[in-house]
Amino acid sequence: MKTRLLLILLSLVVLVGFLAWLLFLRPEAVIKKPLPKDVIEQPTPTPAPPQRAVLLFAGSDGLLHPELRQIPLPVERDERVRVLVHALLEGPRGRLVPIFPYRAELLGVFVDLHDRAFVDLSPPDTAPGGSTMECNLVYGVVNTILLNTDLKAVQLLFGGREVESLGGHLVLSRPLSLNKAFIGQ
Amino acid sequence: MKMKRLALTVLLLMSARLVPAQNIDKTLSFQYQGMQIQAPKFRARITLAPMMKLIGGEMVYSEAAGVWALGFSDHLIQISPERKLLLIDGELMEADEMPLSAPDGVAVSLSYLQHYVLAPFGLHLEKIPSGYAIREGASFGSPLVIHPIIADFGETTTMVLALDEAAEATVETDDKGHILVHFPRNSPRLDLSRRFESRNILSIQAGHNSVEIVPAAGIGVISKNFLHSPERVVLELGKVRPTPSPAPEQAPPPPRHRQGPPIVVIDPGHGGPDTGALGPKGLAEKQLTLSVAKKLASRLRNMGYAVRLTRTKDEARALSDRVALANRLEAAIFVSLHVNSSTARSVRGAETYYMSLDQKASDAAAQSIAEVENAVSGKKRSSASGLDLILWDMAQSEVLNESAALALDIQLRLNTLLGIKDRGVKQAPFVVLTGATMPAALVEIGFLSNPGEAAQLESNSHQQELAEAIASGIRDFLGSR
Repeated sequence: MKTRLLLILLSLVVLVGFLAWLLFLRPEAVIKKPLPKDVIEQPTPTPAPPQRAVLLFAGSDGLLHPELRQIPLPVERDERVRVLVHALLEGPRGRLVPIFPYRAELLGVFVDLHDRAFVDLSPPDTAPGGSTMECNLVYGVVNTILLNTDLKAVQLLFGGREVESLGGHLVLSRPLSLNKAFIGQ
Repeated sequence: MKMKRLALTVLLLMSARLVPAQNIDKTLSFQYQGMQIQAPKFRARITLAPMMKLIGGEMVYSEAAGVWALGFSDHLIQISPERKLLLIDGELMEADEMPLSAPDGVAVSLSYLQHYVLAPFGLHLEKIPSGYAIREGASFGSPLVIHPIIADFGETTTMVLALDEAAEATVETDDKGHILVHFPRNSPRLDLSRRFESRNILSIQAGHNSVEIVPAAGIGVISKNFLHSPERVVLELGKVRPTPSPAPEQAPPPPRHRQGPPIVVIDPGHGGPDTGALGPKGLAEKQLTLSVAKKLASRLRNMGYAVRLTRTKDEARALSDRVALANRLEAAIFVSLHVNSSTARSVRGAETYYMSLDQKASDAAAQSIAEVENAVSGKKRSSASGLDLILWDMAQSEVLNESAALALDIQLRLNTLLGIKDRGVKQAPFVVLTGATMPAALVEIGFLSNPGEAAQLESNSHQQELAEAIASGIRDFLGSR
């Protein structure tokens, strides 16, 4: 009788221990456990009313030309850069020509304390040839961002890396400032 | 009864085995101010959410930006999963490794946690028997943030490694000619927010306890200074005497003030695996540039100039080596030939570019050097570097003005002799023109992306006309000096 009682007690202890392990210590349970609200709460996005943005695409003369478009431009500078670059990646809606000779993706945007944006794009499989193609891509992005924000310079990164140049023409190892030489009349 | 005992034994064995196993393999214990957590591991990394909760920090995800923002004690770190780049209090940094996307956010290695999360928060990890304790303050071997500032002054380059705090440092050159700045008590971290461009430095990267600088061929440390207030290592790099070679037949260096006809260096763009632009029938830019360059060289020699080509066959040439040849020969001018292309297929015509320093960036680099150097009044380099800056600026301005005149002379000849559409002279920061100490221009002779013009460019007679026009432009420029 005494032995049976001891066995029942032991079994109970083991079962309670096992249940506790299942509930609290099992790694999957920890990972799936919802985070506290203050940790996962999304930042309240600043309302972005549609504004007139100047987007630069290539014209039939090989220079950059503006396409004016009403798009919501967030107040946050990195978000605003992201919206602008996405609009450039989507391409023009009118008579102009895309500035990207390949299907590029925006990988990331950083804005530093010196008012410089770092725009990380997916790299092309093969370097686009020709100064005009490269200048249109680079200054299409750089000038569009600088014309629509209070940022001072933009550096393009490709695949998360700083590159000396995209096709052996423009220096891309530093941030570039506004260059109106490539914007047509 | 026997069955019950057996079942009990199995159950005990299972629970005894399972609980310690998950503690060792799946979690890691962290303590902070008397509190302890078991942080779950994800692919051998630590998930950050419980860590931030432990230290009382905040962790917020911006889905639109794809960035996790970590906040603690007025410091802000922004991390993107699967990216090495991160922002620490607004400064862009490149980590040694990437954080991973984890089920509850982002997971990092212990090293990343120490260097890029806890250290900016003023905390550090300490190994204890049960796991790790998070303590206040910086640890021994804490990361040392280094702000490299680099500027070329003529043939030499000044590199200032501005340090966030005092640190023991030594400088040595390894057998490959790489310059190693050792910080034996610190793990250096490079601040990448300040970009640099130098003809004498190919790359700079942080290692475990050192910063490795890869200089261009023949460049080494001329002088090194360890200065304080602010803390910095100042290196002057330039041409160093090459190791004596057993081969006696070394090409004699060009005389300082060379006699004879002006040397024109022609650079046929691209080459080797770098084909450049491709025409509709597969004609490569590298072939066209070489063909026109040879015709141009021949025409210029007939005009009485000495001519050198940066390549005479289909081979790869580093962009920096091309202008370096012109500098070494003390050439009168440097002209790089290219063929254009555009996403707009109808575009045609020739255009000529010359170098833009992107004055804001150049000024900022020069100003940074001046600020750091002038921080120590009365130090021996202060006045010298100020003078160097002025002289360097003056020399660059003069070269740029002459480059603009050269580009215009070539473009005018291309317009008038060929009647092709004037696409004008433009200014942009071109890699191949960087560091030229003489007037330099890049000529795009036409558009391979335009089928009509591509066919024209293939013709031998059109190439000869282009060479004639460019040669006339060069003669106009050199004749007017």
